[in-house]
Order: sequence, then C-alpha cells, then structure tokens
Amino acid sequence: MVWVINGRMTKKLLHKSSQVYLLFSIIVLMVTAPLFYYLAEKLYVDETDEMLNLHKREFTKFSLPHLSISEIENWNRYNRNFKILPFNGWRNDSIYTKTYFDLLDNEREPYRELNVPILVQGNPYTYSARINLVETEDLMKSIAWLFLLILSLLLIGLFVITKKISINLWKPFNETLNQIEKFEIDKSDPPVFVGTDIEEFVRLNASIEKLIKKNTAIYQSQKEFVENAAHELQTPLAVFQAKLDLLMQQEGFSQEQVKMLDALNESVFRLNRLNKNLLLLSKLERDHYSGKEEIDINEAISKNLDFFTEQAKEKNLSIQMELNGTDTVQSNAVLLEMLLSNLFMNAIRHNIQNGRILVKSTNNGIVFMNSGEAEALKESNLFKRFSKSNASLQGNGLGLSIVKKIIEINNWSIVYSFENNLHTFSIGF
Amino acid sequence: MHTFAVMKLLLIEDEQELANSIQMYLQGNNFVCELAINSNTAIDKISNYEYDCVLLDLMLPDGHGFEILKELKKQKKTEGVIILSAIETLESRLEGFNLGADDYLTKPFHLSELLVRIQALIRRKNFKGNNLIEYNEMSIDIQSKTVKVNGTEMDTTKKEMDLLIYLLGNENRVLSKSAIAEHLSGDMADMLENHDFVYAHIKNLKNKMKDAGCKEYIKTVYGLGYKWQND
Repeated sequence: MVWVINGRMTKKLLHKSSQVYLLFSIIVLMVTAPLFYYLAEKLYVDETDEMLNLHKREFTKFSLPHLSISEIENWNRYNRNFKILPFNGWRNDSIYTKTYFDLLDNEREPYRELNVPILVQGNPYTYSARINLVETEDLMKSIAWLFLLILSLLLIGLFVITKKISINLWKPFNETLNQIEKFEIDKSDPPVFVGTDIEEFVRLNASIEKLIKKNTAIYQSQKEFVENAAHELQTPLAVFQAKLDLLMQQEGFSQEQVKMLDALNESVFRLNRLNKNLLLLSKLERDHYSGKEEIDINEAISKNLDFFTEQAKEKNLSIQMELNGTDTVQSNAVLLEMLLSNLFMNAIRHNIQNGRILVKSTNNGIVFMNSGEAEALKESNLFKRFSKSNASLQGNGLGLSIVKKIIEINNWSIVYSFENNLHTFSIGF
Repeated sequence: MHTFAVMKLLLIEDEQELANSIQMYLQGNNFVCELAINSNTAIDKISNYEYDCVLLDLMLPDGHGFEILKELKKQKKTEGVIILSAIETLESRLEGFNLGADDYLTKPFHLSELLVRIQALIRRKNFKGNNLIEYNEMSIDIQSKTVKVNGTEMDTTKKEMDLLIYLLGNENRVLSKSAIAEHLSGDMADMLENHDFVYAHIKNLKNKMKDAGCKEYIKTVYGLGYKWQND
C-alpha cells in the first residue's frame, strides 16, 4: 500500500528491503555469471587437455613401439580423432583450440587439438589428437538459464520468507503503532502495549509509554494551570470591579479622569469576559457538559435573537433567518446555546457597517454567513486560541476556539468557506 | 429604598477589600451590613442574631460556604441567602440552590447588581412577592411589572421595566454603561460586544417618563454612565 504523508509518497518497510535484496541479487548475478562461465569453460578445457595427454601417453607407450610406416594409412582410416600426420615441423607438444566443420551435425564445432612430434621407424611424424568441445554457445545459454532459475528461486524464497518473518517480527511494532494512532491526549486513556520479547520493541514501547506519561502529565498540569489561573483571577477581578464601581461614585472628576475611568471600565469588562471564556474552555476540556437532550434547533437559534439583534444595531446589520431544515438535534442544551451564541456574535463582531448576517438551517446542519472583510480568512489559524484576524477588533480570540471545542464534544463538523463575499461557517450535525 | 425599614445583612467574605467595598456601597441604603471573615464567626453570628439577608462566599479559610447553608437549615433559619462565588459551575449552582440559597452571583460582579439582587430577595421574602414600590409620583408593581405615574399607567417594555427598577434601586449611584448592559443582558452578558444599546433604552425610558409626567430622575453622568437622582 502506498501512503502519502506530508506530500511525500511513502512505502512499506518490506517493500524497501525487498528492493534492496533485488538490486543486490542482480548485481551478484551480473558479476558472477561471466565469472562462472569463464571458470566452467576453463575447467572443462583443462579436463579435455588431461584426457588428450592421457591418450598421448597410452599411444606412445602401447601403440607407437609396434607401429610401422605402412600401418599409418590404416591407422588413420580407423581413427577419426587420433591421426598420424606427416611431420608439420613443430618440435614440441602443442595444444590449442580449433574449429572444424562437422559433417554429421552440419555445423562448425570447436575442438581441442594436441600435436606431438613422434618417430615411426626413425622417421618424424606428427601425432594429432582432438576432442570435440561442447558448443560454448549452448554452455553459455545453459548457465544463464540456470542462473536465472537460481536467482528466481532465491528471490521468491527470500520474499516469501521475509514477508512471513516480517509479519511476525513486526507484529508488536504494528500493534504499538495502532495504539498510538488511536491515542488522543485530551480524550483517551494512555495506551497499553502488548508484551514482546524483542529488545528493540520493548525499548520502543517503554520510551513511548514514558513519553505519553510525561506529555499527559504536562497536558494535565497545563489544563489545570489555565483553570486555576482563571479561577484565581476571579477574586482580584472582583475587587478591581468593586473598587471601580465605588470610585465612580466620587464627585468632581476632571475630564481627563473621566476618560481614564471609562477606559478602566472597558478594560475590566474585557478582562472579565476573557477570563470567563478561558474558564469555559477549560471546563469544556474537562467534560463538564455531558447530559444530552433533544433540542429544537430553530427554537434555540431564535431564543436569543433579541439580544443579537440589539448587538447588531450599532453596525446596522440586517439579520436574515432561513430556518426550515433540521428541527431537532441531540446536544447538551447549555453547549448548544453557547455554540450558537458564539457563532452569532462572531458574525456580528467581524461584520462591516451595513453588512448582513444569514442564518440557515439545512437538513443536517446549520450555516452562519456574514459579510465582512472582502477576503477569505486563513483557515489554519481560525480556530486557534487568541488568533485574531484583526488585532484591533474587540473579540478576545476565544470565541471560535469555544465553537470548535463544542463541535468536537458533539462529534459534529465545522467548515469555513468564503462564498459570494460571505464568510460562511457550516456546521454539520 | 424608601419602602424598606433598616435591613440587617450578614456578609460572609474572607477577601477584606471586596468585603469593605460591598459594605461601603450598601451603606446608606437602609442596610446594616455586618461582616464575618470566616465560617466560625459566621455560624456564631447566625446562631445569635436574625438577618434579613446573608451574602455568602463559598471558599472560606476554615470551611466551605455550603456548610453554613446546612447550618442555617439545621437551625431552621429563614434568612435569604445570596451566594457570591468565584466558582461558576452548574453543579455548584444547583448544590447551592438545593441547600437553600436564593440567588447565586458569580464573581466578579457589579456592586449595583448585588444591591438590586438583595432588594429583590428581601422583597420576595418580606412581602411574599406582592409588593409595590412607591416613589414620589411613581408607583411600581414588581409583580405585574407595571408602572403608574400619578395614577396613570405608563407603557413600558420588559427591558425598560428592568432598567427602571435597576436604576431606581441604585438611587444616587453612578452606573456605568457596562454595568447596565450586563444587567440588561442577564445570562447573555458574557456575549456582550458593545454597550451602545443601553443608550437607546435609557432614551426611550426617559422619554416615556417625561411623557407620563415624571420628573427627570435619570441623569446622564458625562463620560461615565447614568444615575437616578431626585434633586
């Protein structure tokens, strides 16, 4: 199977190792085939030469002492491959390969030939013995086929064995992999790995376990930190708020002081809201809202419409509702209200003067569309905490994180798109 | 408020600065506000005195506020209790109400909000919901949410009625736009984006009161907010 990870094609480990095996086998074949051929031929020729020499010794020991010149003709008549020829002038034994035309096979065939100077009744002659060599071409073909056969057998065997072994061998690894793939730090319990006696995998499992344990601990303390910090902030914020409320009761403020008080009021208001949203997010992460019930979605949207209409007045937004799709949905009521409110406020907050908001319920979801800046938002940062498309905007950058979290809790989906100059958030139930 | 006799409150709160601020704000509203900075003192005071209303912080240095609620129940006390807590979970809220609390206010809150909550609670407790606020030419029926000016009914929306009671309850106090906006938004306060809608409601209420023949009680405090004042 071919996977594409980070845009790069990936292959299975087995595939990779098989590739290396194949390459190695081909190289071995290419190097050894000619070597084998050369050696085999040399061995055969050496064997033939020995045979020729043996014949020569037999001839000189048993036949030559009794041979007379008159018998040479008869000798030559009955011996096709061992002939006594007129002396050719070579004074030493000579052995070589020579091609003769074979009448029986009707083709040229290589022979190994031995020429030895001899004396018959005191006259010099040449003893010439030859042995037919197997056709080299045939030999080459046979060797090539043999090699191919051996190689194929080797490869098939290798592949089958590797596959069989690797399935067994890598089983603990694959199990570990499956566990890790399923693991989600904010949801599931830490994975329990199956025991193995392979040292590397034991080490792998142990280090992953350690890693997960450490990360879970960090994640937990991080989560608790945010929650605790937000909680601890509530009291000083309450003091801040109370003192400010009291301070405002004083009389005789200068214009400058009034401005400062107004800024303080605005800041403490934003601080409060930010802190509440942080608390909410950490509560969402701790699964504080589990009870689900059947809720009329159209009713849930309409419930706070007055509030949103009021909030939309400043920008003179037109709000259009097309509620004729899904009528009920399974969710925690508080969560659903939060989701819808955050989406609605998001549509108001990021809108333009005289803009519009369109809320549509479809058959299996709900869509919030709003006018706004005339370009699509970057989706990668959209649902991240504190990521703001426009730093000057009032929002605290947590609204869409809350939306995302609620979507996750309910196993719904949310998609952002930019259609007809409208920023569109489509929720699928 | 003119309609109340002197009311005795017990504030159970360990955060000194917050306690002081609450006491200061409630002063002069016919309230006597006693302070207990831990649950021992609180239980002591509850056992020995009668209060009209108890303001209860949940996280106390020597115990949980819920223990005090249980103690009140055990002693068959009928004090109205408003929980003031930094904890804002549904569980804590429900538990509080189950143990006999009447209201739950999450920190941080506006002092003006606390004041109207106390007033509402005392009205519910003492007048069994059947009560009328008489204020000069005005007569406000909390139960039926109607206002009469010199005997003639003034037409108000729900929001305007809410605003009227809130402003009147905080007589002579400057109320910031954000405090008013949060009060009017109720549960949705955390979603608030801007407070400009307050201006529209104030303007409408002022106009209606003027048309009905009311004195101009609602004053704009430049740059800060609004104030109900009879001068």
